[in-house]
Amino acid sequence: MNQIKKIVQSKQMVTFAWIIGLVAVWEIIASYVEKTKRTPDNVLPHLYQIVESVFSPDLVNGSQTAIQIVLSNAGITLFRAAIGFVIGTAIGFLLALLMNMFTAAEKIAFPYLMIIQMIPILGMAPIVLAITKDIDTSRIVIAAILTFYPVATNTLAGFKSVEKEKHELMYSLAARKRDIYKKLLIPSCMPYFFTGLKISAPMAITASILVDTLQGGGGLGCMLSQSLKHAMTIYVFWQIVFVGAIIGILSYALMTLLERLVSPNKKAKR
Amino acid sequence: MVGMKNTNDMDNSYLNNDMSATGEIGSEITIENLSIQFPDKDGGAPVVALQNVNLEIKPGEFITLVGPSGCGKTTLLRTIADLQQPTTGSVNIRGKSPREIRKEKKFGIVFQNPVLYDWRTVRRNVCMPMELMGIPKKERTARVTKMLELVGLYDFGTKYPHELSGGMQQRVGIARALAIRPEILLMDEPFSALDEFTKEKLHVDLLRIWSKTKKTIIFVTHNISEAVLLSDRVVVLSPHPGRVSAIVDIDLERPRGLEIKDTDKFNALVSKVRNSFEGV
Amino acid sequence: MNKKKHRKITKDSVTSVLYPLLFGAVIVVLWQTQILHKILGTDTFVLPLPDRIFTIIGDNMGAIMENVKATVIVSLGGLILGSALGYLLGMIAMAFPKWGAGGLTVVSAFNAVPIIAIAPILNNLTKDFSEDANTRSMIAKTLVVTITCTVAMSINAFRGFTELKPFSLDLMKSYAANKATIFFKLRVPNSLPYVFTALRVSVPASIISALVSEYFAEYIIGVGRQIRENIVLAQYATAWAYIVVACAIGIVLYLILLFAEGILLKNRRPRWKSV
Repeated sequence: MNQIKKIVQSKQMVTFAWIIGLVAVWEIIASYVEKTKRTPDNVLPHLYQIVESVFSPDLVNGSQTAIQIVLSNAGITLFRAAIGFVIGTAIGFLLALLMNMFTAAEKIAFPYLMIIQMIPILGMAPIVLAITKDIDTSRIVIAAILTFYPVATNTLAGFKSVEKEKHELMYSLAARKRDIYKKLLIPSCMPYFFTGLKISAPMAITASILVDTLQGGGGLGCMLSQSLKHAMTIYVFWQIVFVGAIIGILSYALMTLLERLVSPNKKAKR
Repeated sequence: MVGMKNTNDMDNSYLNNDMSATGEIGSEITIENLSIQFPDKDGGAPVVALQNVNLEIKPGEFITLVGPSGCGKTTLLRTIADLQQPTTGSVNIRGKSPREIRKEKKFGIVFQNPVLYDWRTVRRNVCMPMELMGIPKKERTARVTKMLELVGLYDFGTKYPHELSGGMQQRVGIARALAIRPEILLMDEPFSALDEFTKEKLHVDLLRIWSKTKKTIIFVTHNISEAVLLSDRVVVLSPHPGRVSAIVDIDLERPRGLEIKDTDKFNALVSKVRNSFEGV
Repeated sequence: MNKKKHRKITKDSVTSVLYPLLFGAVIVVLWQTQILHKILGTDTFVLPLPDRIFTIIGDNMGAIMENVKATVIVSLGGLILGSALGYLLGMIAMAFPKWGAGGLTVVSAFNAVPIIAIAPILNNLTKDFSEDANTRSMIAKTLVVTITCTVAMSINAFRGFTELKPFSLDLMKSYAANKATIFFKLRVPNSLPYVFTALRVSVPASIISALVSEYFAEYIIGVGRQIRENIVLAQYATAWAYIVVACAIGIVLYLILLFAEGILLKNRRPRWKSV
């Protein structure tokens, strides 16, 4: 009896209840839409209709079913986002390292790092496409820009947060600069670095989908536009909404997992 | 009671011999006319942290710098450790500058906070300075084991710092400082954040460790009774400006236990130190 | 140590301003002399010279301001609505902590959902809300921004209400304070820094969501949409003018936020860190 009570009151149960609640709200609105709108599929279909469309064997564009289209294009989008994300992470980390090593570099870059988080980079996507003239390159560039500054600012904050006494300990042991970075600064900044990654991973995916919409040539965003324009069934759009949400959340979860692998002592308080 | 006194006497004589033997070599650390000023942030007159300090510290001596906040005791310790540069005057350690000694990695430092790396286990924390020195892995492992046995934490080697109590964390800090076999152990208020019971336990441990390792220890504290219990000599510093106002010899017999705190001689020495402060 | 620092001009403070300014000047010079174009492999048609961009901004002030107005109304409207809603949700979550915290975990998952997926849904949902295409587009866009801002605020507000200083709740209870008093005298003031943490995220996010939702909106207006439309028409210089304006909106709104924060949190600075 107690066991059951424990399970019912557990954290997972609460989350689960909330998800059920959200599904209920969705369904209530969908039922209302069904009765009042001419094309309820476009506005808000029932969830079971979306699930049905996932398993539907009908070919949507002559050769693929809806879910095949969505998943293959998700692969394209995700691959480009990942390349941009990795490049952006590398640049962000190196910039933070440079800024921490050289005061001049910090002074030059810091105001621009502040400004870049105030300006809407995503709004610049079309012009990046115009400059690079290549949809893949611009996808990577935008994803990289959106990734590099959260990584840079958070990593730098990580370097700066190392207590004075830890620096003094290294100094008193006459540690070489390389050792100070290897043994103290880089391990210390890891939680901050991963905070940056957790912010930027979903952003890189959003960016990649947005750039897709700018031009034909595959990717989730491209299919999303086509589906909205009724070039193919609207359920492709609804599937993309859910797949987009799921990969966004998974990208965050992946970063959390990576963090746990890199720093096994995750419970450490700081 | 009588038996105990006897063993004390025996140990004491052994220690005295040892002291006199090393005493002939002369002083380990010589501080001459040391003054330190900090520039004022508001652009006013510089703050005098230490004024004209002269001090000789013998090899193997346990010396305590005691005083209220602002008396410059920590600044003095930091100057010896090459963490702070003198404005005028000099610190000389066996004919060398603090910087040379630091480069030779002859200092072990214990801070007020344990300053442990929370991503490393206890063992790997103690190991860290030896990694910097390039000591081979086999030797490192052996020394870590020895050090953890010395501070009574052998069973906690695989724990992470946040799983330990404050007192245990500070022991890890001491083990880490001793692991590189320093010649001088510098301790900056290492026990001041601990509760009274833990503190007393660590006092006993530190006395034991010191008698085993024979390091020169420079210990900073604002706790007079702690200073008297541990040291051979207590250097009393007074503030505004920071200066040495007295040096009190603690001629209590060794080895010492906590019971010594109940003796009249102990209390007389505590009073003597307390009355040596100026301008507080 | 808490003495007020006098503003003294030191070498350090001079270089802090000089270095970035020099860097910016170098970029502008490279741009104006077209060396930047060679590096990027583009031409002055796609990447017009700075002086040309500013001439265009000057010439089209009327049209630009109209689009700026549309974008700012959407981002500020959504920001205010979303933050208010988020604060309210945080309050509800605080009242029922067990269920509230779980609900916020679910809400935080929305953080990872791409805006692009939300914008078209709301467009379709709001189709019947008004006869006027501009009005219903405005509603749809504002709702997208609202959702973005609600998420950030609700999570931070909940933390602000519940992450109290140790013993502060005990102190209130020792005065036999009722729940309302505890709420207004302790929880609300405590939540203020957290509100600003949320706003630091939501202010830039509100502009980005406004720009992106403009892409999908029925009615063609707004800075973001103009960037895109002008590029489609190959009017790159005009597109750049709108990009500069978009950046200006972002910077101005963020500076206003920092200013407000500076006033309201003046004496609480040490309690929480910036960046």
